[in-house]
Amino acid sequence: MKNILYTIAAIVICLIAGKILNSAIGGLPASLYGMVIYCLLLQMGWLKPDKVHQVNQWGISHMGVCFIPAAVGVINHFELIKNHGYSIVAIIFFTTFFLISFIGILAEKYLTSGQLSSDHSTVSKHL
Amino acid sequence: MLASITLVDSLILTLLTLVVYQSAAWVQQKWQLILLNPMLLTIIILIPYLLLNNINYAKYHQSTQALSILLEPATVALGYPLYQQLQHVKRYWKQLVMILTLGVIIVITMSFSLTMVLIHQEEIAIALSLKSVTTPIGITLTEQLQGDSSITSFAIMIAGLSGALLGPPWLRFINVKSDIAIGLAIGSGSHVIGSIILSKNNVYQGAYSSVALITSALLTAFIIPVLVPLLLPFFS
Repeated sequence: MKNILYTIAAIVICLIAGKILNSAIGGLPASLYGMVIYCLLLQMGWLKPDKVHQVNQWGISHMGVCFIPAAVGVINHFELIKNHGYSIVAIIFFTTFFLISFIGILAEKYLTSGQLSSDHSTVSKHL
Repeated sequence: MLASITLVDSLILTLLTLVVYQSAAWVQQKWQLILLNPMLLTIIILIPYLLLNNINYAKYHQSTQALSILLEPATVALGYPLYQQLQHVKRYWKQLVMILTLGVIIVITMSFSLTMVLIHQEEIAIALSLKSVTTPIGITLTEQLQGDSSITSFAIMIAGLSGALLGPPWLRFINVKSDIAIGLAIGSGSHVIGSIILSKNNVYQGAYSSVALITSALLTAFIIPVLVPLLLPFFS
């Protein structure tokens, strides 16, 4: 329970700091400033990773539901999909594979493979 | 146009969305098939329901605002996996940022230009330019740039699924074999969906893809507000 409150408070404080930064200097959306601040505070030890781990993981693995209201908006675009569906899918497909190939080839050439020591991806399958 | 909604409408639609999504997530967990993406399944179930009950999108969107509001804290929470994985790529961070920056610039330019040439609609071009970004950040950036976030969500799903399923064999075909290269490539092109596929077989590739998906989303947030106004005059 303590950790739930700790994590929620940490995220809310970072978000508020992000909103202040966004209104002061603009640039990134408030939530992205918040994300960077959250990461920095963890890195500097001001926030305890052990305390946020469990609740943060739970939040990430359930966050997919927050995207549904935006995604359902496709309902307003049947006409667009009917007229341009093939073009849209072709653009997505082509540019995605171009990007994957581009990053893959450059990374293969300029970054030598290192071994990671621990922990694999923590981002949810639900995003 | 604002639709009139009651508290009961809000409760019913929000609960319905939660129940359908959780059931879809359960289905995917049970069958472990990447194509059974919970977001995709939920949309496939919810859209016919809304059409059959004559509920327009404005009403649905307003009724489920409680869920949309959670997008901001959800994005902040991504700072934790970023913190976890950052220490693993400290050695290469300069090259990594350079490669991802180049990739982001090229993919935005290509997606935006192709869409303007083929479809001629700026809001769709913005939405498709953000299809390689993880969903919460993609939606936030699209709304900031007055694009259409529903098209972004749809495009993010297609980019995620196609790259996650076909990306790894394609990379092997073009002789990209190291964990770091495969992880970064799939993470930047197919974000979380790609990351899950990689994590199942190789934790190192999964970790690198987590780094790539969050770093390239962050880079996109810096680059796209500058790049789109530069590209726009070519198509007006």
